[in-house]
Amino acid sequence: MNAQDKSNRLSKRAVAFGLSFSVCSVVNAILVIAKEKNPAVQSAMQKLTGHHWITHSAIVIILFVIFGLVFSRINIPVNRLLQIIIGAVVLSSLLIIGFYLTEG
Amino acid sequence: MTEILLMAHVLFGVACILAALWVFVDVLNASESNQGRIRWVSCLAAVCMWIAFVIGGYWYVVFYPADKGIILKGPWPFAHKYFMETKEHLVIMLLLLATYLPVAAASGNLAANKDARRLVLWIAAIIPILGLVIEGHGAIIAMGVKVALLAKQI
Repeated sequence: MNAQDKSNRLSKRAVAFGLSFSVCSVVNAILVIAKEKNPAVQSAMQKLTGHHWITHSAIVIILFVIFGLVFSRINIPVNRLLQIIIGAVVLSSLLIIGFYLTEG
Repeated sequence: MTEILLMAHVLFGVACILAALWVFVDVLNASESNQGRIRWVSCLAAVCMWIAFVIGGYWYVVFYPADKGIILKGPWPFAHKYFMETKEHLVIMLLLLATYLPVAAASGNLAANKDARRLVLWIAAIIPILGLVIEGHGAIIAMGVKVALLAKQI
């Protein structure tokens, strides 16, 4: 690895939390569909904190921190990381928007 | 009180969008001299987003059920059924992205590290796009309440 490659490397934290963001975005969208399609899931989330949205937010935020720590050993190039992040944003947005357009 | 909360929610949301835009422009012109400012403004974007999220969340849980009832009885029920439902979940993604921005901004020397610069540019670009979509959803929800109240009066 030459000096140029080394200077262009991302920090481990940036890679880890970038991947964590991607996973959590998709989890967020899947959780939306799960709780809207399954009243038992929504009811359980409601009971946990008093409001399903608070539970939903808390789950995603806690997972973001956990995955950020868990993924700290993964090292991927920036192009791949950006593909994953942008792919997750597009996929999650389409899942949420598509779900409420068809079911709302 | 509810109006002040709503205005603060929007204000901090817009502040997050503007801060992310600031980061985007500063990173396009990244040099040794603006590294500190990029990191500071990235943190500001994240803090503004968290404040907007907490205020909005409190308002949504405590005060929104009354507005929801009004919207659903009015001529624009989709303001809740589509726009609010979508907004309340897209915003969680925006919160994570804004939280990630300072992490990305600290990922390397932005003046010398091309990869770190590209990462921050992309994150700082997605935040305003997603933020404006969410702001637009909020405007339609507010219109949903307004048209419902107007319809009631007629």
